[in-house]
Amino acid sequence: MPIDRRLLLNLDWVLLGAALVLASIGIAMIHSATFSGHSSGLYLKQAYVLAAALPALLVALSVDYRRLADRAMLFYLGAAALLVHVLLFGPRIAGTQRWFFVGPLQVQPSELAKVAAALLIAKLFAEMRKDRLSLRDVALPGLLTALLALLIAAEPDLGTAFCLVPMFLTVALLAGLRLRAIALLGLVFLVVGGLGWRFALKDYQKTRVYTFLDPSLDPRGAGYQKIQSQIAVGSGALLGKGFKQGTQSQLGYLPARHTDFIFSVLAEELGFLGVLFVLSLYLLVLWRALEAAQLARDRLGAFLAAGLTAVLAFQVVYNIAMVAGLVPVKGLPLPLFSYGGASLLSTSIMIGLILNVRMRRFAN
Amino acid sequence: MKIYEDLRLVQARLALLQNALVLTMALLAGVFWHLQILRSRSFRELAETNRSRVVPIAAPRGPLLDRAGRILVENRASFNIVLEPEHVEDLDDLVARLARLLGVGEAQLRERLARREGPFRPVVIRSDASLEEVATLEARRLEFPSVSVDVVPLRSYPLAVAAAHSLGRVGEISERQLQARDFAGHKAGDLVGQAGIELQYNGALRGRDGLRRLVVNSRGREVAEIGREAPADGPSLTLTLDLELQAAAEQIFGGRAGSAVALDPATGEILALTSIPAYDPNAFATGIDAGPWQKLATDPETPLMNRVIQGQYAPGSVFKIVLAVAGLEEGVVTPHSAFYCPGYLSIYDSVFRCNKAAGHGMVSLHKALAQSCNVYFYHLGARLEIDRIGRWARRLGLGSPAGIDLPHEMSGLVPSSEWKLRTLRTPWYAGETISVAIGQGQVTATPLQLARLAAVVANGGRLVTPHLVRAVGGRPVPGPEPVPLGLRPETLAAIRDGLCAAVNERGTGWRAQLPGLEVCGKTGSAQVVASRLRQPTSRDTLPHAWFVAFAPRQSPRVALAVLVEHGGSGADAATPVAREILARFFQTTVAPPAPPMAD
Repeated sequence: MPIDRRLLLNLDWVLLGAALVLASIGIAMIHSATFSGHSSGLYLKQAYVLAAALPALLVALSVDYRRLADRAMLFYLGAAALLVHVLLFGPRIAGTQRWFFVGPLQVQPSELAKVAAALLIAKLFAEMRKDRLSLRDVALPGLLTALLALLIAAEPDLGTAFCLVPMFLTVALLAGLRLRAIALLGLVFLVVGGLGWRFALKDYQKTRVYTFLDPSLDPRGAGYQKIQSQIAVGSGALLGKGFKQGTQSQLGYLPARHTDFIFSVLAEELGFLGVLFVLSLYLLVLWRALEAAQLARDRLGAFLAAGLTAVLAFQVVYNIAMVAGLVPVKGLPLPLFSYGGASLLSTSIMIGLILNVRMRRFAN
Repeated sequence: MKIYEDLRLVQARLALLQNALVLTMALLAGVFWHLQILRSRSFRELAETNRSRVVPIAAPRGPLLDRAGRILVENRASFNIVLEPEHVEDLDDLVARLARLLGVGEAQLRERLARREGPFRPVVIRSDASLEEVATLEARRLEFPSVSVDVVPLRSYPLAVAAAHSLGRVGEISERQLQARDFAGHKAGDLVGQAGIELQYNGALRGRDGLRRLVVNSRGREVAEIGREAPADGPSLTLTLDLELQAAAEQIFGGRAGSAVALDPATGEILALTSIPAYDPNAFATGIDAGPWQKLATDPETPLMNRVIQGQYAPGSVFKIVLAVAGLEEGVVTPHSAFYCPGYLSIYDSVFRCNKAAGHGMVSLHKALAQSCNVYFYHLGARLEIDRIGRWARRLGLGSPAGIDLPHEMSGLVPSSEWKLRTLRTPWYAGETISVAIGQGQVTATPLQLARLAAVVANGGRLVTPHLVRAVGGRPVPGPEPVPLGLRPETLAAIRDGLCAAVNERGTGWRAQLPGLEVCGKTGSAQVVASRLRQPTSRDTLPHAWFVAFAPRQSPRVALAVLVEHGGSGADAATPVAREILARFFQTTVAPPAPPMAD
């Protein structure tokens, strides 16, 4: 086995420990959110997934990331094939085609696509041995990323598709793309977004944006989630209402309370202090992940760690901002916290890869 | 060979990103500070409003008791089937399925839904559901998660039809009542008094609603009860009615249309009040359906009308009591004055007939009242003239409501020359006075007013205010004081003699005789103006039969008025009814008396 003692010494136990603490708090909150007189058992399921995710994390950190990056194109094509497969043959669940089943296993290709995209982007940029990149240089990785994003957006899963944008921009920024070019890309994105809004968005998606801007337009529809989440958060006050004592969560006023809005449950039941504690843990994890990028022995490692961190950071910030009512409601889970096997599994793999980069800072 | 890459730019930009990360997380913490610390109070209130509901518990209305404390109206528990439309996705489908299950019209359910207060307010879709219906629904609870069963108190009228018009009925509060000050504090869907005592004393009978403080989940379902204020029952109302007499009076009519009212001549306390046809107030207890209501409201027999206080009839010969009082008090006649009755009177270019074609011969007041001689009262009326007659009629309580504590009492009509000029724009003709003198023509009165007139003669000249309530919540309510009219004792004595003779000395009221009891009374027949009827039949043109009476002669305990619609002459139809009522009152049951020898 290629893991020797020196590698283990360089394992970032702080990051791993913080991530495990977050996942444990998440399981406790899932228990509270799904408790109605008796336990629903969903928290146990999440705990089993966590137990299963640890070996996956181990695998992700044990194989040298450079060897993985060598096969990045293969992973990329595999992910794209799975996305096409789910679009063509996936069962339609609640109007979307995001999953398919292999036996009892639920596979969510978009989660794997995030990892594959990170590997490919890191590899492509690492191979450009220039300090200053022009827009033409980023065209190929940009197109390849956009292709994956479009496939994911077609499911439709706009939240996950959008995750690829900060990943790409972050790596491009590190790779030397001029800040001016990044601003230009941002502008292009806005224009494309505007056109997409005009022609591509479905009515329910537009409604979400409108009601985000003025929730009272539709207090029992799309604006309902935002209002109820804010009530849950605000009424939690400093110390919270106590574990399993949140009225908003326990009485069912919070929508999607064990998945996308799990952070509202935390805010309501454990208060501002609980929020501060969990925010600090996320800051710690993300900070250490960026540190892994800084400590990386090569550009590939730095880009890979930074790209993965960008995805995680975007999801954390967007989800928590959504819970606070700052941004429109999107189906983005909170990494490590929300109920859901696919998300927990892919997050573990991503953390494994970040640890992988840091571990091999001195290795050949 | 090892190629060490130049990572300085990467690391510099990563440091930038780290700073951005810290900044972003600090911003998020600031947002949560704002929500959870600065604005926590208002969000706490919102969360509290979310989870708590206050649900009223309807307080039972006070029961109605008869003068001896026996139950006239009480409350029973009933089941309401309630729909909470808030979270129903397909209301049309639900309504259709419920209508099938409960066997009621879809349109009716829809109408009830349309009348609800707000889109999220629960609606009673079936009141007073049967146990079977409740069981059916409970068994299929899962199919109807938004439907529940409430237990509410309902009015129950054991006497049913027999006391409908005095006790009245309850019904769902109307739009107009919701605006009215009398019904302040009521909300849509409340059952309130809609007629009779129930309406008149609606405020007094009302209890104080209790409430339940509930914790509800986001579907509005009750999760826990965190507080309860018990409802306070409304106070009981002790009425002056005698349950047995009331029930008997209705029976005695045997289905004939008419009315009867018996009261205590000394106080004006109503002992029985019957108006027929009537309706069953139990049918209204849950709010009656439009169909049966239409039928009752448009029935030509007017079952919703309380004839005792709303029926305005020509008083007929009963009005002769008024003439007698007026004549004696004005000094136009004395008890000994006599007129000759040849069977008719020619006056003012017309011939007015007596009720006995052969004539009564010399007639004094005693005989005139006993035999109901028209000619005597033609003479008296001509001498008194209309305005003096009117003045005395009004003093004796005619022409204005008697003031009973029931809603919508009518006043009847006492004509005068001024009245006729004002309303008909023609002068009074002296000939009309002759008709009025025997209670025909323009004059009308309600049965209650004539019972009150009998009470004046019975109690020594005091005008009582008829009333139905003795006590509220066990505390006696003093009745209105009788008003002395200042009549001379000789006047009253003479009239009492005459009325006594009418029953006991082979007079027109002989059918009211009761052994061992001196009944005094006066018959009358009120001519029906046939032209007013759309399709007169022979029965419709028969006069209404009157009998007013009091008994016993010495210190009378009851005064009453009986009217049998289209009963023919008073002597034939109304007198036996009055006799039966009196017999029940004095607890004597004997065979009717043999007719006197004809003379």
